[in-house]
Amino acid sequence: MNSGLNIDDPTVVAAFRLALLHQGLAAAALFVVLALAWASVRGLVPASASAAQRADAWLPEAPARRLLRIGFGILWILDGILQGQPGMAVGLPSQVIQPTAASSPTWVQYVVNWAGTGWSYHPIQAAAGAVWIQLGIGVWLLLARKGRISQLAGLAAVAWGLVVWVFGESFGGLFAPGLSWLTGAPGAALCYCVAGALVALPSRYWRRSRTGRLLLGCFGGFLVAMAVLQAWPGRGFWQGEVRGQPGALTAMVQSMSAQSQPSGIADAVSWFGSVVRADGFVINLVAVVVLAGVGMVFLAGRPRPARLALIALAVFGLADWVLVQDLGFLGGLGTDPNSMIPMLLLAAAAFLALTPRPAVAVAEAAPAPGQLTPIRPATAPAASPAAAAPPPVPAGRNWLRRLQPGDLVGKAASVSLPTVMSVGAVGVVLLGGVPMAAAQASIAATPVLAQAVDGSSAPLDSPAPRFALTDQAGMRVSLGSLRGKAVLLTFLDPVCVTDCPLIAQEFREAALLLAGQRSRVELVAINLNPLYSQVSYLQAFDREEGLTGIPDWRYLTGSPAQLRPVWAKYGIASETLPAGAMLGHSDAAFVIGPDGRMVEELDFDPGPGSAATVSSFATELANAADHALGVS
Amino acid sequence: MSRVRLAGVIASLLATGTAVACAGCGSSAAPAAVSSSASARAAAVSAEAAYSEATDQATWAVLPMGAPSGPNEFWQLFLLAAARQKWVLDTPPDIATNGAIELAGLTGTSVVTGVRPSLYLAYSPVSRTSDAGKTWAAAPPAERLADAPDALAATPGGERLLALDEAGVASSASSAGTVWTPLVTEHALAATAFGRACGLTRLTAVAYSPSSARLLGGDCSRPGVAGLFTRSAGAWRAAGLVAPPALASSQIQVLRLVTASAQTTALLAASTGSRTELLSAWLGADGKWTESAPLSIGSATVRTSAFGASGALAVVLSNGHGEILSGPGGSWRQTPLVPAGRAVTIALPSGGQADALAASAGVLAVWQLTNGGTHWAMVQTLKVPIQYGSSS
Repeated sequence: MNSGLNIDDPTVVAAFRLALLHQGLAAAALFVVLALAWASVRGLVPASASAAQRADAWLPEAPARRLLRIGFGILWILDGILQGQPGMAVGLPSQVIQPTAASSPTWVQYVVNWAGTGWSYHPIQAAAGAVWIQLGIGVWLLLARKGRISQLAGLAAVAWGLVVWVFGESFGGLFAPGLSWLTGAPGAALCYCVAGALVALPSRYWRRSRTGRLLLGCFGGFLVAMAVLQAWPGRGFWQGEVRGQPGALTAMVQSMSAQSQPSGIADAVSWFGSVVRADGFVINLVAVVVLAGVGMVFLAGRPRPARLALIALAVFGLADWVLVQDLGFLGGLGTDPNSMIPMLLLAAAAFLALTPRPAVAVAEAAPAPGQLTPIRPATAPAASPAAAAPPPVPAGRNWLRRLQPGDLVGKAASVSLPTVMSVGAVGVVLLGGVPMAAAQASIAATPVLAQAVDGSSAPLDSPAPRFALTDQAGMRVSLGSLRGKAVLLTFLDPVCVTDCPLIAQEFREAALLLAGQRSRVELVAINLNPLYSQVSYLQAFDREEGLTGIPDWRYLTGSPAQLRPVWAKYGIASETLPAGAMLGHSDAAFVIGPDGRMVEELDFDPGPGSAATVSSFATELANAADHALGVS
Repeated sequence: MSRVRLAGVIASLLATGTAVACAGCGSSAAPAAVSSSASARAAAVSAEAAYSEATDQATWAVLPMGAPSGPNEFWQLFLLAAARQKWVLDTPPDIATNGAIELAGLTGTSVVTGVRPSLYLAYSPVSRTSDAGKTWAAAPPAERLADAPDALAATPGGERLLALDEAGVASSASSAGTVWTPLVTEHALAATAFGRACGLTRLTAVAYSPSSARLLGGDCSRPGVAGLFTRSAGAWRAAGLVAPPALASSQIQVLRLVTASAQTTALLAASTGSRTELLSAWLGADGKWTESAPLSIGSATVRTSAFGASGALAVVLSNGHGEILSGPGGSWRQTPLVPAGRAVTIALPSGGQADALAASAGVLAVWQLTNGGTHWAMVQTLKVPIQYGSSS
C-alpha cells in the first residue's frame, strides 16, 4: 500500500493543494448559490409550513443530542482540517494505515491493505475526498439541528466513521494484541459511529429517561469490559518492566513519546513513560479501579453518583489524553484527537440523556393511535400566531399534491437558512465522495505519481531514428514495419536486477490499459546488454515479467554492432561497470507517432517501484499513446 | 430491576464476556520448535557460498564483498593465473552479482559461471570464458539456480551444461543452444530404488564426471548412505560411493561435488547427533571412488571450501581453523587459525601453495601459508571498486 514516495514530495503536495483549492472554490460556490436561491425564493414567495413542521419547531433539541451533534460536528471538522495536512496524500497509507494494521492478524491486514493500495493509487483524490467528506459531515451535523436532514447527517457520520474505523484504524485494533482503553481501544472512529447512530435516532427517543439509562448502562458495561481487559493477568499491563524490558503499558507509552511532536507534550509523555516503567502496577491498578468503578456506577444508572463518576472519568480521561495519547493529533501524521474526547462526549451525552427536560404535550396536534404524543417543553416561548392556529393537516398522504411546484416553492421558502446550508454540506460531502469513489473504481493509478518520480515529459517533433533488429520470436522488426501505429519504445537490459523489470511491468500494465487499441499500438523494447544479447535472454526476461502473453510486445535484439548505433541515435547510455555491478544505463521511453515522428520523451526511472508507481507510469504511457493517436 | 437496568446488566455481561474473549485475541503463538533433524542436517552446510577451485593453469575464488547482505553485497570472482603471482579481479561483466556466483567446467583457463537470482532478476544468467576472463560469451540462461555452490556443472570446455534449480529440478543444455531440458526432479529421484535406499531429502549438487557422466549429489536420511546418483542404462542409480563402515550410523550429506582438471571430488559430511566428520572421495578414471580418512570436526561447521588441481581440498571451519587434504591417499592437515576477514577462503593453486583470501567491504587480502605451514603471511591486498548503489 506504500507508494514509496516521500510524504513531502513537492509534486504530490502541489497537486493535493490544487485539488483542495478547486474543490474548496466549488464548495464555496455551492453555498453562495444555495444562499442566493433561498433568499430569492423567500423574497418572492411567502413562507408556508405544515402543522407538523410548526409543531416540531416548538420542540427544542434534547441537550444530549445537541451535545453529540455539536461536539462531533466540531470533531469531524477538526479531523477534516487535519486530513488536509500536506503529507497526508502520500503519508496516510505508509505512516498511519500500515503501522496501525501491522500488529493485526493477516486477514485484517489484507482488508486494510486493499484500501491502502486504493489510496496509494489515487492519493490526490483520496486525500482531498477525505477532507471534504469530513468537513461536510461536520458542517452538516452543526447546521442540521433537527428533522430528517439532521438524522441523515448522523447516518452519514456512521457510514464514513465505519470506513475510517475499518480501513484507517484496522477495526480499532480490536484484533491486535495489547488492546487497551488507555491507548484508544476500540477506536476513535467507532465513537464517531456510535454518536452518529444516536444523532440519527428519532427525536422521541431523546425524551425518554430510559434512553439515558440504557445509554449510560451500555457505556458502564463497556467500561467494565475495558477494566477486565486492563486487569487480565496474562496481558502484561501489571508490570512496568519485565526482565529489563518495558512492560506492555510502558512500551505503549514509550512508543507514543517516540512520535515527532511538540517538545512539551513529548516531555510529558516521556516522563509518564518512566513513571509507568517504575510503578506499572500502581498505574494499572488506578486505571482498572477507575474504569471498573465508573462503569459500575454508570450501570447503576443513578444520576447523582453518575455525575461524580462522570467527573472522575473526565479527569482520568483527560489525563490519559495528554499523558498517553499525546493529544492524539500532535504526534506524527495525526488524523484525529484519538479516542478520549469522543469517549467523554459520549459519556456526557449518556449522562445528559438520563435526565431529559420536562415536557408538555402539544394540545393542538392529536396523535394518531400508536403514535407518540408530540411534546414541547414547558419553557417553550409563546407560540407565534401561525403556530397557534395551524391549518388542519390533510387527511391521508397525497404525495402528488405535495410535489406540485407551487407547494414545493412554498416549502422551500419556509425552510431556515441553516437547513439550506446543511443541504450545501451534503453537497460538500458529495464533492469529496464522488471523485474519490470514481478514482477507487479505476484500476490504473493517477499519473501524478510518475510525474513526482521523474517530472513531466519532454515534447518532441523529429523523425524517430530507424532500427532493424530481431524480436524475441526471431522475427525481423524495423521501425518502418511499425508505421501507422503509435510506438512506445524503451531500452531494457534482460539481466538487470532493478529498473528494467519494473519498466517491463509498466509496459505490461500499459498494454492492458491499451487493450482496446491493440491494433494501433506497439510496445517495443530494445536490448541494452551487449553480452547477454541472445534471443534466449529476451525470452527468459519475458517469461519472468509475464510479457509472453502480450500480443503487441516486441523485445528486440541484435549483435552489439547492430545495437550500439541504435542506442547512440536515441541518446541511451550503456556502460560496463566493474566488480559485479550491472550494466549502467539510462531509463527512458519514447513515444513515436503513427507517422514515424517522435512525439514525446519520458524520463522513465521507475523510482521506488511500488505497485502504485508502476501503475502510474503505465497510465502515463497509455495516456501518451492516446495522445500520439489523437485520442482524447 | 427495571427492564432497562436489566438490559444494561445484560449489555455489561456481554461486553465483559467479549473483553474476556478479546484478552486472548492477538496473543502471539510460541514459535514453532525447529526440527532437530533439520537443524542437524544444516549444521555442516557451508554458511557462505564462498569457495575456490583450481586447474593446473588457473585458480578461481568466489567471495562476497561490499555490504553484508542486500543490494550492496556483490559476489566477486578472483583469478590467480599459474604464470602470475598476483590475484586479479575476474568477475564477469554486464551482470549484477548480488546473487552468488557458481563456477563450473573448469579446465585450463576456461570456466563457466552462473549467477544466482537476486533482487528483481528471477533467473540465472550463464556465461563462459576460455581465456581466463579476457572475453566472455553468454550461454543459455538457467532457471533459478539452487542456493548451493554446485548448482551448475559443465563438461570440460563447457559444451554441455547441467543445472540444479531452486525447485529441485536438474536440467541440461547445450551451451550453444537456447533451451534447458529437465532431466529429473528431486521427487522423482527420491522415488528411485537408490533414492529410497538413501531416503533422499534434497539435492545439493550436480557435476559431470571426467567421462562426462552426469552426477547428482544429495542428502540422505538413511544412515550410512552417501547420496551420489548417476545416470546409467536409462535410469538413475547409485554412483558407487560406499561410505566406510565407521560411518554406518551417520547421516551423510554431499557438501560439494566438483570436477576440475579431469578430477571429480566429493566433500561429504557425516553427522551423528551433534558430531560431524568430514570425508572426501575422488572418482577415478575407472569409475571407482577413493575415500579419505574421516576428519572429526566435532560441532564445528564448514564455512568455506577449496579444491586444488590434483584432488587437493581444503576447508575453513567455524572454529577458525583450516584443514587441508593433499589429495587421494593424503591425510588432513590443520592450518593455523585463518586470518580475520569475511568468508575467509583457502585457495590451493598448483605447486602445493595455500593462500587464504580474506575479504572486507572493498579490499581482498591474500595471505600465504609459510614456515612449513605454521604461519599466515600477507602477500597481497587488492582494492575492489565496489559499485555501491548500482543495484538499488
